[in-house]
Amino acid sequence: MELFNIFIKAAFIENLVLAYFLGMCSYLAVSKTVKTAFGLGLAVIFVLGVTMPVNWVISEKLLSEDGWFGVDLTFLRFILFIAVIASMVQLVEMIVEKISPSLYNSLGIFLPLITVNCAILGGSLFMVAREYNFSESIAFGLGGGFGWFLAIIAIAAIREKIRYSNVPPALRGLGMAFILTGLMGIAFMSLMGIDPTALTAGK
Amino acid sequence: MHSTSYIVRFVVIMTALVAFFLALLSTGWKDQIELNEAIFNKRAILSAVSDYLGDQDPKEMSDAEVIGIFDSKVDQIALDMSGTPLEAEDIIASGYKGGRAEDIDMAKEKKKDEADRILPLYVFNSDKGKIYIVSVRGNGLWDEIWGSIALDGKLNVVGATFDHKGETPGLGAEIKDNPAFPNSFKGKKIYNDDGDFVSVTVVKGKAGKNNDYAVDGLTGATVTAVGVDEMIRRGIKYYEPYLQKAIAQ
Amino acid sequence: MAENTVVQDAKAVKSEPLFGKKEKKLLLDPLNDNNPITVQVLGICSALAVTSLVYPSLVISVAVVFVCGFSSLFTSLIRKNIPKQVRMIVQLVIIATLVTIVELTLKRYNFTVYKQLTVYIGLIITNCIVMGRLEAFAMANKPWRSFLDGIGNGLGYGVILIGIAIIRELFGKGTLFAGSPAEWKIIGPTADYMINTLADGSWFGWYANNNLMVLPAAAMFIIGVFIWIQRSYYPKLVDIS
Repeated sequence: MELFNIFIKAAFIENLVLAYFLGMCSYLAVSKTVKTAFGLGLAVIFVLGVTMPVNWVISEKLLSEDGWFGVDLTFLRFILFIAVIASMVQLVEMIVEKISPSLYNSLGIFLPLITVNCAILGGSLFMVAREYNFSESIAFGLGGGFGWFLAIIAIAAIREKIRYSNVPPALRGLGMAFILTGLMGIAFMSLMGIDPTALTAGK
Repeated sequence: MHSTSYIVRFVVIMTALVAFFLALLSTGWKDQIELNEAIFNKRAILSAVSDYLGDQDPKEMSDAEVIGIFDSKVDQIALDMSGTPLEAEDIIASGYKGGRAEDIDMAKEKKKDEADRILPLYVFNSDKGKIYIVSVRGNGLWDEIWGSIALDGKLNVVGATFDHKGETPGLGAEIKDNPAFPNSFKGKKIYNDDGDFVSVTVVKGKAGKNNDYAVDGLTGATVTAVGVDEMIRRGIKYYEPYLQKAIAQ
Repeated sequence: MAENTVVQDAKAVKSEPLFGKKEKKLLLDPLNDNNPITVQVLGICSALAVTSLVYPSLVISVAVVFVCGFSSLFTSLIRKNIPKQVRMIVQLVIIATLVTIVELTLKRYNFTVYKQLTVYIGLIITNCIVMGRLEAFAMANKPWRSFLDGIGNGLGYGVILIGIAIIRELFGKGTLFAGSPAEWKIIGPTADYMINTLADGSWFGWYANNNLMVLPAAAMFIIGVFIWIQRSYYPKLVDIS
């Protein structure tokens, strides 16, 4: 159940947006309506879930001293990670377009945005820093993506409603979005008390 | 529009150039970086016995001074879990090419089964007798935390340092950033009057001034504080077999 | 993203001064009117997590200025040779290389600071401000101007970052530059400032540290307020959404 713990931790307790500010750019730019936020959120889950295991293989098998080549190549880590992410996004875009044009139409425009979404590379770097193994990296990717998805849906829903409120003009839009994110971050902090080990042990 | 062969050529040449440059930089600086890491660790170990270093503050010593003091005053011993000192070849057999206690990577050891671990112990020869510096490692809120605890000849705590991988700055990270926290461990006891091992408890809130077995927790960082408590309790216990023999002599 | 950035005129005029009005504008505009964080909404990511202390923020800011300036310069130098289809990857490789250099340099010359920042150094790559400027400016402008634009945007980013850090550290911990060689303990008794602020002998000893300020959320509130103040002074920046 270790994997479930990692998923819960990545999704709620260590939420990429609310605890680490990762992926803030697209989070703020694409959270004006719930519908678009939903599409981007799905795409992020997908890309995080795919790139994480690939980057794990690169980091552990290609670049590590204990890997296939037996040479320490960690100085290439940043470059390879970002290249994998960029090409994965491209690949995913092409596959989705072939297999399901309807999904592509709803997701397609968000996919290129994801390459520069900090949450993806951030996820990979955290994965290396925390020394996850292969299956843990998948759980972490999916959990992190799900957490990001939740956060962007929540902020989009709030922003849709707040349009009818009387916010000071200078605070409207961006300023308010920041303050709302802060409040959401505090709300998510209350989940910190969750002990995933206790959840799975059935205590 | 560029042709496909142009794109391939462009990408290959660029990647080769960049990789070559970075490889050059990285290999050229490798030794110095490894040395920096060793000095960083030695400085942390010396910080645990800063009270015995006179006016010198390990944080402000030069790199050469750190190495000098470490080499002249500190003996390093590697132990197995039963408290038996290990030879250099045993350490190499455990996967550390250097064969010294300082080469032991606590992060790797933490992943092994408890019975298979090996432990580094640093003995600092001060004017007032031997100080035993034990290395402990555990989990904080976000990630691993670790530290060195200095024990005197009666196995009372005389110093401590902590570090962490990813605790929240200003909250959990206070175990390292706020000198008051490690300093509060000084003078605490880990054995009660009956000689039972009780460790030092990190309490939630205030421990009270006269409590010999507890220190104040950290505001807003309960999970990290619990982690420190658990880490010390388990970590010192590992060294107990050796330490009991050593002080009995 | 770079939607609301203005792509400046790409046509270069011959025999212009090396540092004229336009160049000054490129360097100084991002500090206020066209600030990457509060106006362009770029680069809020990653590095904000270090803003609870001034010193790491300062180091990250210097690193961002360096990466931003030089990635703009290099991209601009080879902008005509970059194949359009792979330009994103090429830009990212340039940025990633520069960030790796920053990481190695810190490891080599200031290991203590490297230990404080660890993953956050790598996250500079994903800082959208760098990529955003390459895409919006360096791909269409001459090297020297792109370099200035990069430096200017890096500075604009750094100013906000350090501004947030000063507020957070001062009210959250009562210090400035904690962790650096020149640590200032400003509020609270000089020793034990976090554990016991009431028994004092120094200035502002009565002040109890505000724990909200050290939470990640505080950074959000402070940026929100920065934007509020800026837009009250410059109503043209207000958007309606």
